[in-house]
Amino acid sequence: MTRSKNVSRQKVEAGLKQRRRRERWFQMLGLLATTIGVVFLLVFFSTLISKGSSAFMQTHIMLDVEYSAEIISPDGKPDTVYADYDAIIRNALMEIFPEVTDRRERRDLQRMVSIGAGYQMRAVIERDPSLIGTRQSIVVPAAANVDMVVKGNIDRDIDENLRPVSDRQLAWIDRLDAEGKLVTQFNTALFTNGDSREPELAGIRGALMGSLYMLVVTIVLAFPVGAAAAVYLEEFAPRNRWSDLIEVNINNLAAVPSIVFGLLALAVFINWMSLPRSAPLVGGLALSLLTLPVIIIASRAAIKSVPPSIREAALGVGASKMQVVFHHVLPLALPGMLTGAIIGMSRALGESAPLLMIGMVAFIVDVPAGFTDPATALPVQIYLWADSPERAFAERTSAAIIVLLGFLLLMNLTAVILRKRVERKW
Amino acid sequence: MTKLTQKEDSAVSHADAPDMQRSDRVSVAGERRGDTARAMEIGDTTVGNVRCADAFVTAEKVNVYYGDNHAIKDVTLEISRSEVIALIGPSGCGKSTFLRCLNRMNDTIESARVTGRITLDGQDIYSKELDPVALRARVGMVFQKPNPFPKSIYDNVAYGPRIHGLAADRSELDAIVHTSLDRAGLLKEVKDRLDEPGTGLSGGQQQRLCIARTIAVNPEVILMDEPCSALDPIATARIEDLMDELSQNYAIVIVTHSMQQAARVSKRVAYFHLGHLVEVDDTDRIFTNPQHKLTEDYITGRIG
Amino acid sequence: MTKRSTAALLLASAASIALMNTSAFAQAGRDYIYIVGSSTVYPFATVVAERFGRGSQFKTPKVESTGSGGGLKLFCDGVGVDYPDVANSSRAIKQSEMDRCSANGVHEIIEVKIGYDGIVVAAAMSSATMSLSRKDLFLALAKQVPGASSGQLVANPYKTWKDVNPTLPARAIEVLGPPPTSGTRDAFAELALEAGCQEIDWIAALKSSDSERFLTICHTVREDGVFVEAGENDNLIVQKLEANPSALGIFGFSFLDQNADKVKGEPIDGIAPSFDAIADGSYPVSRPLYFYVKKAHVDVIPGLRGYLREFTSDRAWGEFGYLSDRGLIPLPDEERSQVAAAVADLSPMSAAKN
Repeated sequence: MTRSKNVSRQKVEAGLKQRRRRERWFQMLGLLATTIGVVFLLVFFSTLISKGSSAFMQTHIMLDVEYSAEIISPDGKPDTVYADYDAIIRNALMEIFPEVTDRRERRDLQRMVSIGAGYQMRAVIERDPSLIGTRQSIVVPAAANVDMVVKGNIDRDIDENLRPVSDRQLAWIDRLDAEGKLVTQFNTALFTNGDSREPELAGIRGALMGSLYMLVVTIVLAFPVGAAAAVYLEEFAPRNRWSDLIEVNINNLAAVPSIVFGLLALAVFINWMSLPRSAPLVGGLALSLLTLPVIIIASRAAIKSVPPSIREAALGVGASKMQVVFHHVLPLALPGMLTGAIIGMSRALGESAPLLMIGMVAFIVDVPAGFTDPATALPVQIYLWADSPERAFAERTSAAIIVLLGFLLLMNLTAVILRKRVERKW
Repeated sequence: MTKLTQKEDSAVSHADAPDMQRSDRVSVAGERRGDTARAMEIGDTTVGNVRCADAFVTAEKVNVYYGDNHAIKDVTLEISRSEVIALIGPSGCGKSTFLRCLNRMNDTIESARVTGRITLDGQDIYSKELDPVALRARVGMVFQKPNPFPKSIYDNVAYGPRIHGLAADRSELDAIVHTSLDRAGLLKEVKDRLDEPGTGLSGGQQQRLCIARTIAVNPEVILMDEPCSALDPIATARIEDLMDELSQNYAIVIVTHSMQQAARVSKRVAYFHLGHLVEVDDTDRIFTNPQHKLTEDYITGRIG
Repeated sequence: MTKRSTAALLLASAASIALMNTSAFAQAGRDYIYIVGSSTVYPFATVVAERFGRGSQFKTPKVESTGSGGGLKLFCDGVGVDYPDVANSSRAIKQSEMDRCSANGVHEIIEVKIGYDGIVVAAAMSSATMSLSRKDLFLALAKQVPGASSGQLVANPYKTWKDVNPTLPARAIEVLGPPPTSGTRDAFAELALEAGCQEIDWIAALKSSDSERFLTICHTVREDGVFVEAGENDNLIVQKLEANPSALGIFGFSFLDQNADKVKGEPIDGIAPSFDAIADGSYPVSRPLYFYVKKAHVDVIPGLRGYLREFTSDRAWGEFGYLSDRGLIPLPDEERSQVAAAVADLSPMSAAKN
């Protein structure tokens, strides 16, 4: 008896070293995997931030402009819409560079100021017509190329023909800088403007509003329907072949490529129901179809995790099936359902393929004011800017990605916080 | 030791023997101490008094199947209006299953099938006219592991009356809650903290809360499924004292693993063995002078 | 009726009323211009759209980049507010497309030629310049090339430019270009590859005798990895060229213009791509760009006239206009005024060029 026990003990001891070694190996592998993941994440974020952070600042030019009455009110009455604001800018520039006389040179000079300057002045005059006839000092956005030079993204040393800015313009920029007329400010246009072909005027506001409207539609449709479907499937549906079939199909739908939902939206919502193209309403409908399976699956898991003891207790007191579900199971399953919903929303926020089919991949300048105005979405805006040849859009693309990631982070944080608050101990 | 194995072997062999007399009532009833104890079979009758005076809950020839598993075999039992009856027996003998038939909790198990007739105050509880929800307001249940709702103490007790509409207004509800907590012996301890979560109480307190919750709907029968098995001796003692008070107003059917507890709290005892109801009798008699060999074996500790 | 069925009926009627309202609402009238079409014309159309929108009281037109073919298909789907007003195209509309338009009720189409776009074969600035002929391009990129004897075709065996033309350096052939869905690819096939393969006599003869086979031979690009479809993202091609100096990239002149410090265009048939070379037609791989407008929409959609006026103004498409800043090569002066006049008159086109 004792001898066999000794043998067993020896065997255990002998094997122990190898077991411990294997465990250490496994731990190291785990650490390695985590480190690789973290390194990739760091590389990703550092690349993104290094490329995109410069987009949050924009070069502006300080000009002394005269809102000359001759230009703005040529016929005596102020014509703020069609007045030649470019002339006002030209005059202001002439005051700084009186030596520039050649027509072509003057055009070159004017090109250093963004076309947005004219719209900015128009807005100022429309708000306060009493400024007509006065001299004001204003800060207008510089053209994208000037901004790129100031940020160092354009190589000054290469041949003039290969640069988008001429030597002349470089000299002018240096002079403006020396006179303190070049100002670098926070790029509010990025957040207040809609899309534009001029990089210095391009903003994500239109895309942001579009994404927001879509998310509202998605959550209003997908969450109640998904939660109700999950409750029905878990609590009330009989367990037979049909319910198995439904379960398999829902799991499949969660893995269907998102562009298929776009095709569905095109066929059903746009062609058959004649909803307006490019509207966040249609985008939201497509995305809610996409999110529905995710919410159903997460909600079912949450409902399944409610312990049977609570259900029995409720039944024992005389609660009906519906009362057990709505008074006891749902409140306890709510944290899980909410988390699933928010994770689904996060995915929806980043989708662009289904939007392609319904016409939301388009150049849309006006910020949408409602659910049926044409709009685009944040990931789509990023895609469109990535395709643009202008150098300045490269940094704005990265900046828009940073904003999108910020949003996703916010949503996931909300999920965590909400979950913690709604969680109840049982 | 040797004697036991001998008896075990003969019990098994007797059970297998096909030509064993089964319908012979006299020989079955005559199984006494000293004779070989064989397992019960269908058709054997329960020893002792299945009937009682002033029967409130009756079970007639009840069989319960879980799929193909025949869990409860032909059980007939009557329970009177205000008594405490304990169901005892070794693990897996079906006492909990039988208990759950009385308030139709077995309905929640899909593979469960109940045949026979169970009546409450003369009414068949499985008839189409009777809503299980109403039944469960009359036959309450306390479970093995305390399971208060994750709500406040007040809401725990108030939940039942709320859904059944037993209180017309807030003051009536308050009265019900107070009375129930008082009867469950918990009021003094939680009087000042009714808004705190029920899950924050100790084990014994939680179980008393569950009892308060059960009696808040004013049932006629309280079913208790091993209510003290998860509690310490002090909490157990408190609940056993409670049972004595409760038995004045409610019929109590308690399933217990502990014979000592059965001896302490109950007036009648029903012994189950492998799905059969072997013997039912007054507590004193069953523990001092059991009629059936199986009962004796269980009580003396030979089986179980 | 039971409570359940009443509820169901109410729900169904509410849903159908909502549905009817949305479709009525969609028909209610679009107050912005809806433009679809070529991704090559997209950068120019969007600039004009924005300037028009900001400079007037009208809403900024919505511009979708669907590709020339896709855009014309949407365009010819019908007349009405549900259909596009303008289709941009990097090639002329085909007769088959015009027939389809007629069949769907689109009868009067105004064709507007807006300028020229060159297709360049670019390489990294640091690489040695290769002067390529269109025949070289065909032999390097075609799926099947002529074999030893006349009439014989073999799978393309050439691996280096030297194999194709002994005067070229021994660089591996690696070309990044647009996918088959792109109008730029169609234009490149027609202007460079087709012209190149016509220099082989027996293939040139096929053009009249068996035009289908001719097109197949000349337009089919090799699929063995030498020609890499780099998607529609030209920025990506520029980046890849910078990273790999021996590779060549095919894209529009506007991209070359914007990235002149990183990439350069190889001379084709002796002519290097430049603004002037494309404008006067000497650079061979250039094509006109168009957009098409439905006359029926002109006074129905607010601002359409204004948009046309803006696009055909010298301020936009003139020699010093803002479109030429973006890389659009303007039409010669005379042609410009002709087209502008035709647009102002809203004269519809009679037939397609092919």
